[in-house]
Amino acid sequence: MKSNTGLVFALPALIVLFMLIAYPVFYTGWLSVTNDQGQFTGLQNFSAVLRPRVTTQALWNTLWWVAGSIFFQVLLGVTAAILLNQNFMGRALVRSIALIPWVIPGIVAATTWAWMFHTEFGIINYMLTSTGALDEPVGWLTRSNTVMPAMIAINVWKLFPFVAIMVLAGLQTIPQELYEAARMDGASYWEEVRHVMLPQIRPVITAVTLLLVIWALNAITIIYAITRGGPANRTVITPIQIFRLAFENVEFNQAAALSVMFFAVVMLIVLAYSKAFASQPGEVQ
Amino acid sequence: MKLLKLAGFFALSVLSTVTMNTGAQAGDVVWWAPNWGEERARTLAQKYMAANAGTNIKIEVTVANGLPERVLTAMRSGAAPDIIEVQHGWVNGYAQGDLIVPLDDTIQDKEDYVKAAINYVSWNGKIWAMPYRIETHGVIYNKDHFKEAGLDPEKPPKTWDDLIAAAKALTKSGRYGFGITGGGEVGNTIFRSLPFIWMNGGDIISPDMKKAVLNSPEAVKAVEFYTNFYKQGLAPKSTLENDGLALRRLFIAGTVSAYQSGQFDLPAIQKENPNIKLGAMMIPAPAGKQTAAVLGGWSYVIPKSAKNPVESKKFLQFLNTTENQGYYTDTFPARTSSIKLPRFDDSMLKPFAEMLPYGRPVPVHKNWVKIVQAYFDGIQRILLGDQSVQKSMDEANEEIQALLN
Repeated sequence: MKSNTGLVFALPALIVLFMLIAYPVFYTGWLSVTNDQGQFTGLQNFSAVLRPRVTTQALWNTLWWVAGSIFFQVLLGVTAAILLNQNFMGRALVRSIALIPWVIPGIVAATTWAWMFHTEFGIINYMLTSTGALDEPVGWLTRSNTVMPAMIAINVWKLFPFVAIMVLAGLQTIPQELYEAARMDGASYWEEVRHVMLPQIRPVITAVTLLLVIWALNAITIIYAITRGGPANRTVITPIQIFRLAFENVEFNQAAALSVMFFAVVMLIVLAYSKAFASQPGEVQ
Repeated sequence: MKLLKLAGFFALSVLSTVTMNTGAQAGDVVWWAPNWGEERARTLAQKYMAANAGTNIKIEVTVANGLPERVLTAMRSGAAPDIIEVQHGWVNGYAQGDLIVPLDDTIQDKEDYVKAAINYVSWNGKIWAMPYRIETHGVIYNKDHFKEAGLDPEKPPKTWDDLIAAAKALTKSGRYGFGITGGGEVGNTIFRSLPFIWMNGGDIISPDMKKAVLNSPEAVKAVEFYTNFYKQGLAPKSTLENDGLALRRLFIAGTVSAYQSGQFDLPAIQKENPNIKLGAMMIPAPAGKQTAAVLGGWSYVIPKSAKNPVESKKFLQFLNTTENQGYYTDTFPARTSSIKLPRFDDSMLKPFAEMLPYGRPVPVHKNWVKIVQAYFDGIQRILLGDQSVQKSMDEANEEIQALLN
């Protein structure tokens, strides 16, 4: 009897959870195999959504976007954390300032960056041309080889402070004895970083990276607010394609089919990642 | 105390249902009017009610944002008002969906209306709406820039060749002769580039909507003409990120000397930079051919579920007299006799008025949003330098054909 009482108390919350999470997931699955009249159509939506060229292009763009964002976010974040872990005057202030990009709402950041990158009015071109670094303004957001890197740069700027703060927290849990022991053995600063800090914060980096991957895969704000996926689909990532299908073309069934496929790909990536990188207990480098 | 409060709520809710039910009486006409014309709508309603005792015109103000969804929901739910103002392009869908009533018996002096406007709202041999406001793009230009470039500001370009020559003369020292759009919402570039295809005898899809014809020599030539302004450096470097609003800003800043837009841009320019000497011209056409433009504007419809169609039709006839239509419209009236009113006797507006007879409706197809997206992507590929005009339009044509099957 007693064990049932617990279930009774948890039931209302479970029902709400079911309605808010499980139902939409299953409904999306159902939408993906039916047409707009609700009739079962098998895999028709899947083949329809795979046909246009933009689907393949969006997948490649997504991979670039995720890989580029993660690499620089982790690199910059860890570097910043190690620097912020040093003892210097005004450290607390610098640490707070470093967090600002992460705190700014995505849409505000995106719109501001769009103006800064603008070919005609943008401050970036103004600075580069007035100092003589460039002869004439560059269309950062309108050239095929600069638009995606620009998007990645904004995403890195937005999220590296998050990595830094998480890694910083990890660094502060490293016992002083480890540094002392390393110094006794004659380790230089760089050897401390390599053999003490990095192995100790590896679990933090692993967890943060997984979060970053999931966020980057779902990120729509920055790109949609700045380029809407353009020019000529150069910055369309799969989440934007799903959004377009559902809310601009009102093709909910095809959007659901693409979501299902995207979900499967994301699950594969996440599983592969956690298998490969998750730290084993008791592992020592 | 608690009980009292509860009783109060109850009474209130009963009261509100009662007023809601009695809100629409036999003599009531509920009119959904957009917010930009609210004041004028109220004036007209007062006038009508003063002359027709027993009829009560109830105005409910709408906003542009989300209006198509709102109208469709109201019509489908069967709880629609008596008169709704909608864009011409939406009318056909309502008629085909059996959501509105034909207005052949309501429209007076049909011959007085601009033909393209009537065509826009006709389907299956009947007229389904009363057009009252029409507009097209023209070209707005900076007269001082023309003078500085050695061009006669009173004799603006008439043909494509003239326009290219003028743009070349105007483009110098950080100025661009003719701004085109290549970014922002798809519609911006459709409104500006599709007319050139039409002028040259081409189209995006065939009249029977069965065949994509975007890679025909006529269409390709027109797309080449449009995109060349950017490719040859006559339009700003930012073209791929510019929409209509960005062009207006660049024009106000003096960076762009001419661009396509509607007369609604004129007051905004004058307000922000009163020093600019404004000029307007008809959109240049290929030598020996007629100009063209996308026709935009608004119509009145009566939903099938309207409570008071008889009185509504009478009121519509009042709204669409020469006088009242000319008074109510924001841009131009759909009646040619209304355009003769003193209000439209403005030399700045003349080229826009002259464009009206060349205004054309865009096709009504269920995949139109995707069709224009494919076309727009093609334009961007050309502007980016990814593909030649022919190759890009071939690819877009193929995608559009798949959407028509």
